[in-house]
Amino acid sequence: MLTVETLRNYGANVKEGMARCLNNETFYLKMVRLGLSDANFDRLKTAVSNKNAVAAYEAAHGLKGSIGNLALTPIFNPVCELVEMLRGKTEMVDTGNLVDTIIAERDKLLKLDS
Amino acid sequence: MNTDAIIRTGRQTVLIVEDELVNQQLLGFILKESYNVLYAQNGQEALDLLHSEKYRVSMILLDIIMPVMDGITFLRLAGEDERIRSIPIIVLTSDNEMELEAFRLGAMDFIKKPYDMPDIILARVRRIIEFVEDREIIRDVEHDPLTGLYNRSFFFEYSRRLMEREKERTFDMLAIDVDRFRIANEVYGRTFGDQVLCSLADGIRKVLHGHLGISCRADADLFYVLIEHGADLKNSLEQIRSCIHEGEHPSVLRIRMGAYSGIGFEHPVSWYAEASKSACDSIRRNYQTDIMIYDEELHRRELYNERLIADVDTAIEERQFVVFFQPKYAIQGERPVLVSAEALIRWNHPELGFVSPGDFIPLFEENGLILKVDNYVWREASRRLREWKERYKLDLHISVNVSRKDLFSTDLSQQLQSIIIENGLSVDDVTLEVTESAYSQDADQMLKAVKTLRDGGFKIEMDDFGSGYSSLNMLCMMPIDALKIDMKFVRNIAISKTGYRIVELVAEMARALNVPTIIEGVEDREQYELVRRVGCDIVQGYYFSRPVDAENFEKLIEKEASQRG
Repeated sequence: MLTVETLRNYGANVKEGMARCLNNETFYLKMVRLGLSDANFDRLKTAVSNKNAVAAYEAAHGLKGSIGNLALTPIFNPVCELVEMLRGKTEMVDTGNLVDTIIAERDKLLKLDS
Repeated sequence: MNTDAIIRTGRQTVLIVEDELVNQQLLGFILKESYNVLYAQNGQEALDLLHSEKYRVSMILLDIIMPVMDGITFLRLAGEDERIRSIPIIVLTSDNEMELEAFRLGAMDFIKKPYDMPDIILARVRRIIEFVEDREIIRDVEHDPLTGLYNRSFFFEYSRRLMEREKERTFDMLAIDVDRFRIANEVYGRTFGDQVLCSLADGIRKVLHGHLGISCRADADLFYVLIEHGADLKNSLEQIRSCIHEGEHPSVLRIRMGAYSGIGFEHPVSWYAEASKSACDSIRRNYQTDIMIYDEELHRRELYNERLIADVDTAIEERQFVVFFQPKYAIQGERPVLVSAEALIRWNHPELGFVSPGDFIPLFEENGLILKVDNYVWREASRRLREWKERYKLDLHISVNVSRKDLFSTDLSQQLQSIIIENGLSVDDVTLEVTESAYSQDADQMLKAVKTLRDGGFKIEMDDFGSGYSSLNMLCMMPIDALKIDMKFVRNIAISKTGYRIVELVAEMARALNVPTIIEGVEDREQYELVRRVGCDIVQGYYFSRPVDAENFEKLIEKEASQRG
């Protein structure tokens, strides 16, 4: 079960995320769940495995906005790094294990919520 | 499309265009306490929603990277769409690289992702909505709603500011006017008139394109343009003309332009505008040119006119106006018989001397003072006629001029009736001369007014026939009692066969209409014999007598009385 406390322990900047939600805890948690189910996670995985740099950039860029707004720092930081690596690229570049990290961090939170 | 906004009266509506649900919901959550919120997932959905016109949207929050239609494409299309481009747009972005392009396409501000704190977002949205609404209010107040040009007062103020800001430049003031616009409006309808004005405004915008300046619609069909000195006036007028779609009525409209070249700071801007209007007005009756530049001569003329206008009441009180009489003789009998006289006004100004009726009558016709002056003539002429009738017991009548402006007076018939009654005369004693141009300018109004006068028993003489361009059809419609042929025809009667034939034809036409023909301007024996031969009934002109004062006219009556025995 996701709570503000579990998110804080996870490493999210809960204060910042909550402030964007007018300190409405219920709404914040609802938005976090919505963010974790963002289709861009799957799009990102598929694009990278298909070596589609443009699609991978668009998915990462989308995640950067929403995850950033939720202040889920452990996901946000590698997403930002990935966006910068893919920016303006038409050919896939070596992104190391960034995508795996992003997915793993998302899965960690999903597990906490189960 | 998720439109969970409930439109409530008095709240502004914000449209969030964003495909990321978290971002969309978060913004909506922040804004919904203060605004109605609408959502669109991409640019195309947003366009569809805005085109549906179900909502009056006060602000658009726009993401850049979206499927179907991205934010940059939306901005481009919105900028080309008159209904949308006035709505302020804040772009939502996590990148800096799109900022310049978005600004270039009309975005007013940015909100960065991750978002600022809610208070900051709310403050930015509120500030921009207020700014744009204030701008719209100001725009509505300062512009003419029909043409979109400035209105008169803001034009004067902004012209002054522009001139002060651009002191090193020289400016000209133009006045542009449409001849007979009111008539065109009446004949072809208000929509036609509005189209003409809008096209004229478009023409002015074209003229200003590439020149520093501003313009306004100052009055119904009067426009002012402040333009940097150097623009070719003739080309400018042509450019304006070419924008007017006259459709199938090309002969109706004439566009005149007056200009004051090189305006300065000695007078308020409104003074220069008035001066350019005076120049424009000065060619109202001059069909040789459509452009007039204000100059010293025009300035002197204006001052002179102002003096005449200022002095008219005193002139009436002090009896500076003198009524002259030009006799009219019936010529088809054994000898010419004095039957009537046209009452004509003269002004002996104590300081300016003799003022020509050609100077003051058109002037007073323009500003309505002619009503006072004509009234004075009607009274004076009637008073004299009563004296002569009592003294000489002759069957004599007079004709007085009734100007176009007089005919607009709703109680004209009553005014004339009371003058006649006061002097113990009857309506048969006073004939009314109405100039032909009055008929052609306001046909419906004139028909109505003339019918009212005839219903009151007055006889109507159509004056200056042939000087204007009244149609023959008008003659059939207009009830008249005499046709007075313009003096220019007499000039040609002895010179050319055509001139002779024309007078003959008009006389025949009058006979067909069963009204007598009066011809004015007969100056010599030859002309007299010819007009008699073609069958004109009554003659007025120097051949018999120039206009004379009452005392001298009385001598002619005395002579007539003695001849009649």
